[in-house]
Amino acid sequence: MSEGIRFELRAREELFINLEPLQRGGVVPAESRKVALSYVDGYSTCDYCLGTLHILKKPPICDFLTEVADFLGMDDAILTHGCREAKFAIMHAITKPGQAIVMDENRHYTSYVAAERAGLKTYEVPSTGYPEFKVNPEEYVNAIEKARKEDGELPALVLLTHVDWTYGNLADAERVGKICQEYGVPFLLNTAYSSGRMLINGKKLLADFITCSGHKSWAAGAGVVGILALRNEWKDKVFKPSQRYKVKPIEILGCSARGTSALVLMSSFPYVKERVKRWDEELEEARWFSRQMESLGDVRQLGDKPHNHDLMRFETPVFNRIAQKHKRRGYFLYEELLKRKIVGIKVGKTKSFDLSTYGLTKEQLGYVIDSLRDIINKPYREVYKL
Amino acid sequence: MVEKTFEALFALEDLREVWRRTAPFHDLTKEQKEEVKAILNRARRALDEIEGEIR
Repeated sequence: MSEGIRFELRAREELFINLEPLQRGGVVPAESRKVALSYVDGYSTCDYCLGTLHILKKPPICDFLTEVADFLGMDDAILTHGCREAKFAIMHAITKPGQAIVMDENRHYTSYVAAERAGLKTYEVPSTGYPEFKVNPEEYVNAIEKARKEDGELPALVLLTHVDWTYGNLADAERVGKICQEYGVPFLLNTAYSSGRMLINGKKLLADFITCSGHKSWAAGAGVVGILALRNEWKDKVFKPSQRYKVKPIEILGCSARGTSALVLMSSFPYVKERVKRWDEELEEARWFSRQMESLGDVRQLGDKPHNHDLMRFETPVFNRIAQKHKRRGYFLYEELLKRKIVGIKVGKTKSFDLSTYGLTKEQLGYVIDSLRDIINKPYREVYKL
Repeated sequence: MVEKTFEALFALEDLREVWRRTAPFHDLTKEQKEEVKAILNRARRALDEIEGEIR
C-alpha cells in the first residue's frame, strides 16, 4: 500500500457481509469499477469539452441525461455533486430568501440545511411518532395552511422524502403531489433511497422535481454524484445559464461531477435499469429478514409494517441487556459480529440499530440471522443469568 | 502493452467480483472455481504478453 495511504486496505465488500444502510445501494459492479480505473485522473470527462458537462457527446453525458430523465419519468436532467446539491439548486433557483418551504419530519438533515442556506423558513410535517414514524400526506395540508396563515402567502416549495434514511418508510408521494397540485405549490421529491433501487415515475407522482443520489442508490461510487430531474416548465429557471458564460448553468456553478463519479454513474446505468425490475424480490427478502429478526425475541422492527424498503431500524432490548453486563459494554455486538465477518452495524449500538439488506443473497442474510442468534445464545445468558 | 495492462487490471476486477459474491467465506462452487481459473488465465496471458514485449 502506498505511503500516501495511512489507513487499511478497504475490502469490506470482499471480506465481510456489509449491512451499512448508507452503502448497500452504492455498491459498484465490476464493469463500472473498470471504468473508474481508466477515468481516475482529474477532469477525465473533459477530453472533448464543449463548454459544459451536461452537453458532452464524448463521453456521451448528454445522451445519458436524456435517458435518465426518461427513466425517471421527467423531461430533463442534469448532474450534480449529490442529492443535497440538487435540492439546494432547486431551492435557490425558484425561491427567494424569507419564503417558506414545507418538508417532512423524516427528512434528511441536508434538506433542512439546503433550505437554511437558501434563506428559507421551514415548516415541518410531523410523523406519527413511535413506533411507525409514518408521514401522513394529509398533514401537508395543515403545514401549507399554517405557512399561508403565518406568512400571508403559500410556501414556495414542498419537499417530501420518498424513503427516509432512518426508518426506511416509503411515503405516499402521489398523494402529496396531488395536494401540491391543488394548492399550486411546486413539489420536490427526494428519492435518495428510492430511485435506482425501485422504478420511479416522477410525472405519475406529480413531482415537479426529482433529486437522486448516485452513491446511495444508483450503484455509483468513485466519489459523489447526484441527479436533478425536472419538468420542462422549470427548466429555464433551474438550468438558467450565467449571463456572462452563456453555456454554464448557474445553479451547478457551470459544471458539476466532472470526473470518475459521473462516468461510474453512466456505466452503472444499464445495471440499475435491470435491478429496479427485481425490486419486488429485494422487498420480499427484506420482509423475510425483518420477520427473522423479530423471531429472535425481544427485537422489534420500527417503521412501516409490513416494510416497504430494504433499509430498516430495529429496536433491540435483547442486545442492550447483554451490553449492560458485558465487559465490552456497548462494543460487544460490533465485536461479536466482526468476528463472524459481518460489518455495517455501528460501533456501540445495542439499544437499536439500522441496516440494509439490499443486494445481499438469502444465504448471506440467513447467515446474519444465525450469527445474531448465536450471539444471543452465547454463554452470557448463563453467566449473567439473563 | 498499455492495453494489455488494462486487460490484466480488468480481469482482476472480475476476480474481485467473485470475492464479493461469495463473501465472507469464499466457499466456491465448482463453477465458481472454473470462473476464477478462467479469470486468472486472462490476467496471466495479458501479463505474459507484456513481458514478451519488453524482452
